[in-house]
Amino acid sequence: MTSTSDTDSLELLEDGLRKTMLSTSGAELDAALAELGWADMLSDMPEQAIPLVFRLLGETGSHASLLNDIVVIQTAGRELGEIPELPYAGGGWVVWDYDGASDTTLGGLPLRRVDEGDPVRLVDARRALGWWLVGSARAMLALARQHALDRVQFGRPIAGFQAVRHRLAETLVAIEGAEATLSLPGEDNPDLTALLAKAAAGKAALTAAKNCQQVLGGIGFTAEHDLHHHVKRVLVLDGLLGSSRELTRKAGAGLRARGSVPRLVKL
Amino acid sequence: MTDLFETAEFRSQLVAWLDENDLTPPPGDDSLDAHQAQHLRVLKALYDAGWMRYGWPESAGGLGGPEILRAIVGEEIVGRGIDQPGPYSMLEVLTPTMIDYARPELAAEMVPRLLSGQESWCQGFSEPGAGSDLASLTTRAVQNGDQWVINGQKVWTSFAQYATRCILLTRTGDGDTPNHEAITAFFVDLDTPGITVRPLRTMHDVDEFCEVYFDDVAVPAGRMLGKPGDGWRLAMDLLPYERSTCFWQHIAYLYSRFDALIGEVRGRGTASDSDLGEAYLALHTLRCRSRATQHRLAEGQKLGPETSIDKVLLAGAEQKLYDTVRDLLPGAVELDDGPWRTEYLYSRAATIYGGTAEVQRNVIARRLLDLGKE
Repeated sequence: MTSTSDTDSLELLEDGLRKTMLSTSGAELDAALAELGWADMLSDMPEQAIPLVFRLLGETGSHASLLNDIVVIQTAGRELGEIPELPYAGGGWVVWDYDGASDTTLGGLPLRRVDEGDPVRLVDARRALGWWLVGSARAMLALARQHALDRVQFGRPIAGFQAVRHRLAETLVAIEGAEATLSLPGEDNPDLTALLAKAAAGKAALTAAKNCQQVLGGIGFTAEHDLHHHVKRVLVLDGLLGSSRELTRKAGAGLRARGSVPRLVKL
Repeated sequence: MTDLFETAEFRSQLVAWLDENDLTPPPGDDSLDAHQAQHLRVLKALYDAGWMRYGWPESAGGLGGPEILRAIVGEEIVGRGIDQPGPYSMLEVLTPTMIDYARPELAAEMVPRLLSGQESWCQGFSEPGAGSDLASLTTRAVQNGDQWVINGQKVWTSFAQYATRCILLTRTGDGDTPNHEAITAFFVDLDTPGITVRPLRTMHDVDEFCEVYFDDVAVPAGRMLGKPGDGWRLAMDLLPYERSTCFWQHIAYLYSRFDALIGEVRGRGTASDSDLGEAYLALHTLRCRSRATQHRLAEGQKLGPETSIDKVLLAGAEQKLYDTVRDLLPGAVELDDGPWRTEYLYSRAATIYGGTAEVQRNVIARRLLDLGKE
């Protein structure tokens, strides 16, 4: 049970983080988060800090290189401050590095391809990315919902049309489902729990991108509207540490090898 | 005894009991009659041993304890294939209604008969003209002295042919009464003169659903559930149980069938991995969501429109599972007359019964996304 004062202080922290992320991004945000005590948060309260901070990155559309910290903390023989190679979809590797960042990566994340990498442990990193994807999906849903209420065609807000409403409802279902997988404690099998959560979050974010893009119509296709930042972000984040499609196939291979279905969820 | 109310301890004692008391269905008979006989046999054994009484209040013959204990019993019984999910889930939609709406003496008298397998009951809600729009139902109840006289027709009434009693929704009041205040529920003995039960043939060849006709059926006023006009609230109050404990049991059943599918395809190589993974992801997501819902209910939170998300996830996962069965076991549905065929066909109804997928999305859009009226 979280006490009221804990809840209050978490809300204060969330407000502070959100403001910071809305005003800055990239290396500057890394510096600002260091000031706000990111390293202490990560060591003292990772169960609260990781979902909160990464969800907010998604909701605000900001970015920082925090994933590197999560990966090196969980990987034996690595230290904070190092830049690990990160697996990318299709068997590739990338680094999240401001120095020498390529400007070819979609949506402006400082990722660049590298030829190979050392093995890394990805449990918390996949969960973190899952929360980021879910945060981005929520941001897209908020934009599409507001547009549906504001945009008038045929003499009424398009939110009144069932086809539009059902796309938005489907999006919420996908997001809520993914959040449930991310919230599962997963003590029994942390690797598989995190793998499935990342797969669910990636799938939810891609569903949100598709549905919200459609609901936003022409304006959502312009660079004037914020949607495209989120669409591009989730395309990149879905591929990072394994795409939803790849992770899902991997989970299927695991079932076949095992010959039965793991019940990761207990009452 | 207090320790038994702790979920892990409860489950391990239940599992130990099940290991010592073999309730496996007799082999060779997959008829609905055989399922019903097994259902009653299982309930009797579980009631006598106490397991069927945990999580229900002592005032209605239960042994108390948190409601989540019922989900655990359901998960073990249905997940092990000891009882079918359909009949078993009826307990969860009938019993809370009786406890919350029947006169306490009536509930105390009747509920133990249901939980112990002495009787089966059914739920008369849907009508030919009232499916998604349940509030438009037209089966009428008219007061006549200390009786109410009922005329009309119900449809999709599960297991009515085995039932001795029915929780029935009727229309009362006059033409000016708003729909949601014009519905009144009764607890009706099905051997009352004027009642005809006719099983429906369905596409999956299991005559589980019935039409029930009411022709001048006289019901004592003491069998009214709640007060006149309480029927709509009664129907809505069922949702938390239907969408928590019931769903949890049903998910356990789907997992057991997924185990069976994997057993059949495990020697096949990598070609099926993506399909298996997608079915697993859908089931796992559903189970995570349902766990969170169970815990919210256990904490005393009131469940509401957000359970429409659970319903959409369940229907989607169920159809995904059986689509995968048909894809990975070519011919098993079309050429072989076995359980996969029945289950595949039954799964087509998952987006229709209990509130269609469209109605759920309407609820989500209106109540959760606050998109205003259509």
